Amino acid sequence: MTSTTTDIRSFGAGGFRSWLERYPFLPALVIIVALLALNGIFSPNSLSFRSLTGLFSTYLALVMLAIAQTYVVSAGDIDLSAGATLSLVNVAIVVLMERWGGGAGAVLLALALGVLIGLACGLVNGLVVAALRLQAIVATFATSIFFTGLALYVMPVAGTPAPALFWRTYGGRLLGVPFVFYALTALAVLLFLLSRTRIVTELLAVGDDQQAAYQTGLPVVAVRIKGYLLCGLFSALAAFCLTGDTASGDPLVGGKMTLYSVAAVVLGGSALAGGWTTVVGSILGALTIGLVNSLVFFMGTPSEWQNFVQGLAILLVLMAGVLAGRRAHA
Amino acid sequence: MSKLRLNGVSKAYGATLALRRGDLEVAAGEVHVLMGSNGSGKSTLCKIIAGSVRPDAGQILINDKPVTISGPQAARVAGIGVFYQELSLANRRSVEENICLSALPVKAGLFIDRQALKARAARYIALFSQVAGEGFHAQALVGNLRADQRQLVEIMKALASEAPILIFDEPTSALDRAQVDRFFEILRGLKAQGRGIIFISHRMDEITAIGDRVTIIRDGETIETLKLSDIDPATVIRLMVGGASDMPAARSAAPAVVETQAKAAISVRNLSGKGFRDVSFEVAHGEILGLGGLHGQGQSALLRAIFGANPVTSGAVTIGGERYDAKSPRDAIRRGCAYVSGDRGRDGVIRGRPIIENVTPIHYLRDRLMIARPSRLRNKAMPALEAMHTKFASLFHPINSLSGGNQQKVIIARWLIDRPDVLLLDDPTKGIDLSAKADLFALIRQLAAEGLGILLYSSEDAELLGNANRILVFNGGSVTRELTGDDRTRYNLYQAAYEAA
Repeated sequence: MTSTTTDIRSFGAGGFRSWLERYPFLPALVIIVALLALNGIFSPNSLSFRSLTGLFSTYLALVMLAIAQTYVVSAGDIDLSAGATLSLVNVAIVVLMERWGGGAGAVLLALALGVLIGLACGLVNGLVVAALRLQAIVATFATSIFFTGLALYVMPVAGTPAPALFWRTYGGRLLGVPFVFYALTALAVLLFLLSRTRIVTELLAVGDDQQAAYQTGLPVVAVRIKGYLLCGLFSALAAFCLTGDTASGDPLVGGKMTLYSVAAVVLGGSALAGGWTTVVGSILGALTIGLVNSLVFFMGTPSEWQNFVQGLAILLVLMAGVLAGRRAHA
Repeated sequence: MSKLRLNGVSKAYGATLALRRGDLEVAAGEVHVLMGSNGSGKSTLCKIIAGSVRPDAGQILINDKPVTISGPQAARVAGIGVFYQELSLANRRSVEENICLSALPVKAGLFIDRQALKARAARYIALFSQVAGEGFHAQALVGNLRADQRQLVEIMKALASEAPILIFDEPTSALDRAQVDRFFEILRGLKAQGRGIIFISHRMDEITAIGDRVTIIRDGETIETLKLSDIDPATVIRLMVGGASDMPAARSAAPAVVETQAKAAISVRNLSGKGFRDVSFEVAHGEILGLGGLHGQGQSALLRAIFGANPVTSGAVTIGGERYDAKSPRDAIRRGCAYVSGDRGRDGVIRGRPIIENVTPIHYLRDRLMIARPSRLRNKAMPALEAMHTKFASLFHPINSLSGGNQQKVIIARWLIDRPDVLLLDDPTKGIDLSAKADLFALIRQLAAEGLGILLYSSEDAELLGNANRILVFNGGSVTRELTGDDRTRYNLYQAAYEAA
């Protein structure tokens, strides 16, 4: 990055603001550190390498789904069917792997097909929202019901186990390092490459001001469809992580994750109105939700109070982020 | 050879003809100025060339070959670069990204070529490096820049298209002298390269400085194309105004100047705020004070500030002899101030709700109504609506079922249930038909006769000349001239409006 003299000067004047402009996920990072510390206080064991590996392998699915959501939010859209897409891919790959015998070839082939299913769901959403110009929030709510219906057709009842080869690999180690960290590294590389693509800049330009982007000559409809395709792709990847973690198929598993993914995007410092998003923030937002959940558990909250405390904690975190943002824009 | 030629291009929105007949010919190596008053069809003409509006009829030729421009993308391919008056920038992207946005340089067909992007943007940023001002650099977010700097980015973006035909729709409205001079130097360079340039500006001095030929457009029709070196500004204004320019317009209709009564309905002392500065005037009971001038010279900003919708930085407003500082519209309404905006969708209409709910919100506020019986409300709403000759099937139909003119009547009627003392009209007839306009002005005059103080801003000069007792002409946010009595002529109004700021 080239840092000019003007940059350095602006650090002196509105230091916090320019920092936040460059790294909008800073508040989320501070919150993560605070949550980790709190987790450590209540249960020192929760900061061990093993526990953290567990945290990652459990919440990698939500991380992926939050990333998926980020790309549509960039363009000012939203996808309420991301969780249903995840469910559909989850049950489809589990059924296919089982039907094809559960060998290495079957697993890889099923995963490839899973990616295609995710992309197909994204394409449907993109066509409905961008080409037919239906309201994103309602249209994707409708497609979510549709995708859930398909998932229920593929697997009417939850519980079909995934082949051992698949979940053992996901939960196991490779050359002494947990597989999750390979997945995280691959994800980091993928996100880095994506951030340099033309489509991401175009998505953000469309989300910033759709009319301006149209007048600039950007293919607005195509750009928004591509956003939904990216969303479908990452929803499929989220399904792989979830399948690896739960080791079974469940046609309704993703439903409640959709709004968590939206919450993660906002917690990470992205603007839901579009044009201002950060995938790093969304990752941190998803991990925040994970850490809140584990904190509620480690604090020894009685089970009937867990939802209450969880909701309260997420509200508090959201408020902290908003306050930081408001100070920066004041 | 002509770079661009339009033959009989027209465009209608519903029943209103935005452009009746547009003929235009731009030669290679010329700056062709488009001139016309507000709403004469300049912008429609530009948008047709830019591809964001599709013409109903007519022909567009580029280099003497007929083309169809199906959208902004097609226009870019056809070699047309546009500076949009309302700017087409992404506020949260950097300056360099905005400059290159229409054609981002890529490598491997996928990744943005940062080096190429930086190099390309730097070329255009360097053009203005002397005049861009503090804080302007390639990585700055456009949203953090000043208005003039944003306008420079839009200019750079248009230049970066390297299109043989360039359209600049009011590119200099926020620029200072040095920036304009630099921009004109660049334009002269482009002329020498043989580009065809369409230029719109309301500053007469700029037009004579840079223009080669001028096409006058009036009431949606291109009237005449002239060489600028052959004519003087007065001729241009006379052509824009049309035949009857020297006649005091509609004098028989305009009421005489009202004698100032002991107590003014509203008086404004040295008021400054965002978009206007140091404005002072008094409006007597029964007087209609017109605010004239080109669009966006501070008239709306002033009215909104008086109504408490925009902040005031200094100065004072007195209503009925009492100091009045509205901090919010709610406050202003309680003190007897009414505001009707031409932008119904933004400021007036409660969409999808019944007419009765759209007539009564002010009544609720002023009478502190908590619970209301429909029959009682009906008795209050009906006379107000009838005074306006509003046509509607039932009070319980949604307001969207009405035409634009009738919607506006409903909005005005909401202020009539409880009489205000001061009525602020912010271009109230925008987009409504002629008969509704006539009803509206009949009512406004009646209200004035009943003793209201009325402030009227209109983008149509005929409305001001026909109704206002006095006219304050705004230019660049302050009042530059006051027209009273026999001075209220079309010619004087134009001349004052087009004077260099």
